[in-house]
Amino acid sequence: MTNPIPYERMLQECLVGELRVLNAHLPRQQKPLSDLLHEEYPHVACNDGSAHLFKKKELAYLASLIHTDEHEALLLPMLIEINPGQDEMTIICRGKVEEKVISRILDMPITPRQHRVIIYKRQLALLRKTLKTTTQYLFSPKILVQDTKEVHLPK
Amino acid sequence: MRQQLIKVRPTKIELIKLRRRLALAKRIQKIVKDRLSILTVEFMQVAREAVEAKRKLLADFSEAYKSLSIAAGYHGYIVLEKELVASETTLEIAAGLRSIVGARIPSFELREPELLTLKYNLSDTSSWLDQAAQLFRECLEACIELAELERSLELLGEEIKRTKRIVNALEYLTIPSLQDTIKYLNMKFEERDREEKSRLKRVKVLLEQR
Repeated sequence: MTNPIPYERMLQECLVGELRVLNAHLPRQQKPLSDLLHEEYPHVACNDGSAHLFKKKELAYLASLIHTDEHEALLLPMLIEINPGQDEMTIICRGKVEEKVISRILDMPITPRQHRVIIYKRQLALLRKTLKTTTQYLFSPKILVQDTKEVHLPK
Repeated sequence: MRQQLIKVRPTKIELIKLRRRLALAKRIQKIVKDRLSILTVEFMQVAREAVEAKRKLLADFSEAYKSLSIAAGYHGYIVLEKELVASETTLEIAAGLRSIVGARIPSFELREPELLTLKYNLSDTSSWLDQAAQLFRECLEACIELAELERSLELLGEEIKRTKRIVNALEYLTIPSLQDTIKYLNMKFEERDREEKSRLKRVKVLLEQR
């Protein structure tokens, strides 16, 4: 008879490992656009120790979208949060600058809710096409703390 | 297709554990499916861009060689070679990695494009050569872009294949086998209940007969 405990642990580790792999590339700290524009090799350090390189072209494009005074407020890379099992994604917006940038790229007005802008796959493709290195995916860790309502006691 | 049942003791505690495992497996499946969908979106995007970049590169090269041949015809090969040898420069490409939901793909960018400014004697050469130089610079940038896109395409393809295997294993093997085992255990418990009921009935009849 197989021992069920390692099997269960294996599944749990698989879930945690999968999230770790997916979120390994997240930056330790976001950098403002103003700093990145002055770096020779604009980059941020990631959680896994690697460096995420930004393309200067993209930074210049972002700088052209907003006023010089707002460069300080735009933190990069922008994070696109994916909620497993849902069709929409959310972009984490801390300030008005992010909203302005996203609105200009998507060419539509946006309304953030709780510092988040909801976008759909078509808009995501457009956003990623324009901002390849200045956006990053973030898998929501909410899946790990989901309640276990599905597990009921047998009658 | 009938799935292989997981060998467990038919107890209620095992049933609870199996249900927990099923919930966990479904959660993993959700994440992996989302990952696959993001990878596919990125793959399609990169594929479209790669086709476009290749078309642009071919057109650019065709234009550049036309310009070069006109410039060569105008100046002559010897003069042209003399001027071009003097304008040789070292290229710098910034190479890094970026991650798309776990897949690490390369990122190249040509640095210091101002170094690629025309270094030959402008007074001795014609605008035909300037035009050819400008077009070849564009070709160089297009080459680097295409290299990045093609490598990204390969890596994303491999990652999609790997993720699909995990999705299929969960969808067609792990989850169905857990569901079948849960179903089997439920049936077993129901059967046990029925047996218990019929036994009680039998005992009742025997007691009444006495």
